Parts: sequence; C-alpha cells; structure tokens
Amino acid sequence: MTAQPALELRNTLRRFGSVVAVNNVSLSVGKGEFVTLLGPSGSGKTSTLRLIGGFEELDGGSILLNGQRIDHLPAYQRDTATIFQSGALFPHKTVAENVAFGLRMRKVPKDEMAKRISQSLETVRLKGYEDRYPAQLSGGQKQRVALARSLAVRPAILLFDEPLSALDLSLRLQLRAEIKRLHDELKFSAIYVTHDQGEAMAMSSRVAVMNTGSIEQIDTPETVFHAPSSEFVYTFIGESCCLPVRITASGVQDKKGETIGIVLGERLAEGDCRIYVRPSRLRLISDAAALPNRLTARIHFIEFLGDVYRYHLKAGALELAADHAGSIGKSVGDVIVIGWRTEDMRVFR
Amino acid sequence: MSATADIDDAAYTARRAAHARRKAMAPWLLMLPALIIVLIFFGIPTLYMVRMSFNLHIDQRLYVPGLTFEHYVNLFSNPLFTTAILTTIKLALIASLATVFIGYCFALLVWLKPARWRLLFIGLALAPLLISEIAIIFGWWMFFPKNGLLSYALIASGLVTNKVSLMYTEFAAFVGLVYVTLPYCFFILLSIFDGIDKRLLEASADLGATPFKSFREVMLPLTWTGILVAFSQSFIWTMGTYATPSALGPDTLWTMGFLIQEQMLGKHNWPMASALAVVLVIGVTGVMVVTRSMQSERNNFHV
Repeated sequence: MTAQPALELRNTLRRFGSVVAVNNVSLSVGKGEFVTLLGPSGSGKTSTLRLIGGFEELDGGSILLNGQRIDHLPAYQRDTATIFQSGALFPHKTVAENVAFGLRMRKVPKDEMAKRISQSLETVRLKGYEDRYPAQLSGGQKQRVALARSLAVRPAILLFDEPLSALDLSLRLQLRAEIKRLHDELKFSAIYVTHDQGEAMAMSSRVAVMNTGSIEQIDTPETVFHAPSSEFVYTFIGESCCLPVRITASGVQDKKGETIGIVLGERLAEGDCRIYVRPSRLRLISDAAALPNRLTARIHFIEFLGDVYRYHLKAGALELAADHAGSIGKSVGDVIVIGWRTEDMRVFR
Repeated sequence: MSATADIDDAAYTARRAAHARRKAMAPWLLMLPALIIVLIFFGIPTLYMVRMSFNLHIDQRLYVPGLTFEHYVNLFSNPLFTTAILTTIKLALIASLATVFIGYCFALLVWLKPARWRLLFIGLALAPLLISEIAIIFGWWMFFPKNGLLSYALIASGLVTNKVSLMYTEFAAFVGLVYVTLPYCFFILLSIFDGIDKRLLEASADLGATPFKSFREVMLPLTWTGILVAFSQSFIWTMGTYATPSALGPDTLWTMGFLIQEQMLGKHNWPMASALAVVLVIGVTGVMVVTRSMQSERNNFHV
C-alpha cells in the first residue's frame, strides 16, 4: 500500500428524515492534499464536511483520520479544524484570544502558545491586529483570523466550509490566491467545500464533483474539466450550450420536430440526444466555414462581456451562445453560420 | 464676485448649522410622548411620595403635614421593619436566582432546538402572561392545600402516604414568585440567545472545547448581560410585589410590600408607608446600579 491517507471516508451515509443527504460517499485525502467538494446547494457537500468535523451523526460507514476511526468521537475530540462560512469568531475575544482558544483547549504550554499565535497571525498577514475585536475587522480579515485560529492547532486536516462565499468578488479572488499560497507553503491536508467552480479549479489537488449526495467524479481539475465523466459534471463545470435534438433518417430536428440547418461531422445514432458545446469553442462566420460541424442561426441579442462579445443565437427551438473576441460586424436579426470541432462537442443521451 | 461667494458661504453655513440643530432635536422629540407620561404618572407621584414620608402621623389621622425623620428612624430601628427588609431581600434573591436559572435553561433549550419547536415553547412561556396575578393565585390555592392537586399527585406517585399541605409556606410564596417572573426572564434571555451565532458552539467544540468549557468560555460571557438584566428585572419585581407572597406565604411572612399595604390601609399611617416605599425604591435603584456596573463594557458583541 501507498502512504496512509490523512483522511478516509468509507461508504459514509447521512439521512435527514427520508432525504439521503450523503449517499455512500467514499473519499480519501492524502497527506498534504487539497481536495475540493464541489456541487450545487443540496448536493451533500456541506453535510459531508460536517460529518467529518463531528457536527452531524453518521448513519452508516466510517471515517478514519490518520488510520484511526473517529466517527464515534464527539467534535471536541477530533483532530480537525473547520473554517466556517461566517468565520464564527468569538465576538467577546480579541484576535489573539481567538487564535489562542484552540491551543488553550489542547493545553499547549504558554511560551509555545505565544510562539504559535504570532506565527499563525504572521502566516495570514495579520500581525499587529492581536488586540482587535472581531467587530473591528473587515470580512476578509475575519476569515483570515478564522484561518489562523484553525492553522494554529495544527490539525490533521483542515475543513473549509465555503469560507469565501460571503465575501465580495475581488476579496474572494485575493483570499483564494492566499489560501493556495499557504497550502503550497505549509502543505496541510484539507477538504474545501464550495459551489464556486473557479475556486475549486484554482486551488485543488483534486476536485470531487457532488450531486444529490454522491460523488459524480473525483479527479484533477484538468481531467474534471476536459474529460467529465457525466453530463452533470460537464454542465456544472464551465459554461456550456445545450442543444436538445432528435436525430432522424431524414435529418436533425429540434424538439418541436422542425428540421434545423445543422451539419455534423460524425453520424450520430438515431434518437433523442443532447449536444453540448462550450461558448468559447464556437467559431463564427468565416472561421466556421471549414469546420466539420456547422449550424445556421439567427442573432437574438449581443452582450459585451469585456474580453469578448457574447452572441446569443437561435436556430428553431435551439438556443445557444458563442463568444467572439471583437465584433463580427453583424447585428441582431442577421443569420450567421457557426461551427465547432468534433473534439469540442459532447453528446449525451 | 468674491463678496457674493462669501455671502453664499455664510448662508450655506447657517443653513447647515440649522439642519444640524434640527437633527440633534429629533431624538428628544421622539422621546417626548414617553417622557411626558413617565414624568406625569411616575415622576410626580414619586416626588409626592418622598414628601409624604416626611409628614407627621398624629392621632390616627392619615397624615399631618410637617417635617420629621421619625419614620425613617423607626424603619431602621424597629425589628419589625428591619426583619421585613431582610425577609424581602432574601425571598427576592432566592426567587430571582431560581428564576434566572430556570429561565436560562429554558431559553437555552428553545435556542438549541430546531425552529419548528420554537412557537410551541414561546406559546408555553406566554401562557402565564394571559392570566392575571390574582387568577394565578387562585390556581395555586387549588394546587398547594391538603386536598389540592399537589397532595394528590404526591400520594398517587407513592412519594408520600399522608396528604400534605404546602399552602401558606415560604416555599409556596417562592414558587408563586418564580412563576410570575419566569416569562419575562425567559423572553429577555431568549432575545439575547437569538443574537448569538450557533456556529460559535460548533467552532468551540471544533477547537477542542468540551461542552462544559464551551459553556464557560463562550456561552456564559456572551449571555452575561442577559443574565444580569433578567436577574435585576426579576429581583425588582419580587422585591416590590405584594399579592403573591402574602396570599401564598405564611402569616408571618412580612415582606415590605405587605407592610406598606398594612401601614397604608390597616394602620392609616401614610408617612410610614411612604418611607417604606422610598426605601424600597432606593434599594431597587441600588440593585440596578450594581447589575449595570457588572455588565461588561463591551456588551454589544452581536452588533
């Protein structure tokens, strides 16, 4: 066997009444690995994290931390540390007292404690804020303190519960980079729960995409993005256009049964299917002419997104969007040809 | 040109100042209705009461205008009154401590339970407020005597063999007082609990604190203000109340409330009754000052 994983979930199960929130989830996080649980709300990612932290009771399966079963232990005996969405800083304690809390509970000696407090505050770049109260900090600073508080106890695994989702965009990007930097530096093991695919992609060693209580796919961010194992993973990660079509002997129809002007490079089996392409992979007019897959569509409206123009198109009952850097000199109502490479297209039935 | 600008500037500054003055007035204007009511219906009568306590009491007349400290001297030298003061403080203290303890547990339970139980618990806590204190006393009269509910319940449960009566005991007075003040205490504490992020308890456990440590380090400091406020309101109430302790307690339970009533209606000694009331008001104010000073300076954690 390879090195012992920091954390292992074996067939974990959690029910809320008749709802199965976590359905047979098995997962292993190696030492120093940063695994993200990514999924829409209600996919069971937070419940999974709370099972590990000990805030929810396990209904089946087991949880191992450094090879030891911990699922029978109460939260305060588990060597985990959670960074909560709200930060959950103790409002009546100063920054230094907040960071000291876990160390005091673990009976770390005084001088060691002082060292670790200043160390972890330095790590999150909050030196000099020791005597502030949480109410005197900004949202980003609060999350840094929460991170320092969790880092200070040096847990076997850090559990991030959507720590950035309450922050505004620029701060989110900044802290995201900082967590990434800290992980590269300190090599802590972590599970990070988020519904933001950007965060998942940017920070993770591996991404576990969750849906309805189960892990749909777990792999490196690149593989999850480029080789999604299911339609759910494909549509959840990255933007995509969906073309629900019916392939018949006489041609390709939309769902109303009208034949649409689509040319496909490969012959698809007859029947209903959904063709997916990412907006960034669609080529317009002259760029499209030489491509094996083409569709004639009418411009519905145009959005300017900064880097690109996004053309929203309609072909019969089909709707799709295509990105193009710069204007193509066409306007709303014009009929244009779009095309894409066969490897950029995915078909699900 | 610059002259016109100066005039405009001056006019502008004046308008700004007028606006600032109006803004400063606003809180006072908003407070005015309440202030008027408080002054007319509480302030003036209290001043009259203070004045009354210095009047003379001659020949069974209700009072004779004059100036004497006789009633205050009497109050602190006559064992009848000093005992009453001590009895009242003791009863109020024990009842308030019990009320805060029970109220705290109850509020904590409601706060911790899922929201769907909340309405039921709040309804339960509100129920005693729907009944007047007198009606509640009648209820206790059905409960405490020898042929009351408590007696039958104890016999049925096999705890005692003979019928017991707890009617007209200090214990009955104590229970009655707790019952009356508990709802207020509960709602004060619940409002404090509601301002606390439940995740703090998880964070505390997460960092390795046992439930006891979490309570000691997180819950208690965060609810301390609420405990003090609940205690002082409960103490003030139980100090001054008259009906419950005299209706449920023994004949010998002479509280200040009882004595004020007796001096006023029985002995027709209004100055003495007023002196007692003044001492009561001062005592209650003292308690408020003390509890206020025990509150942490940073008691606005949740804001």
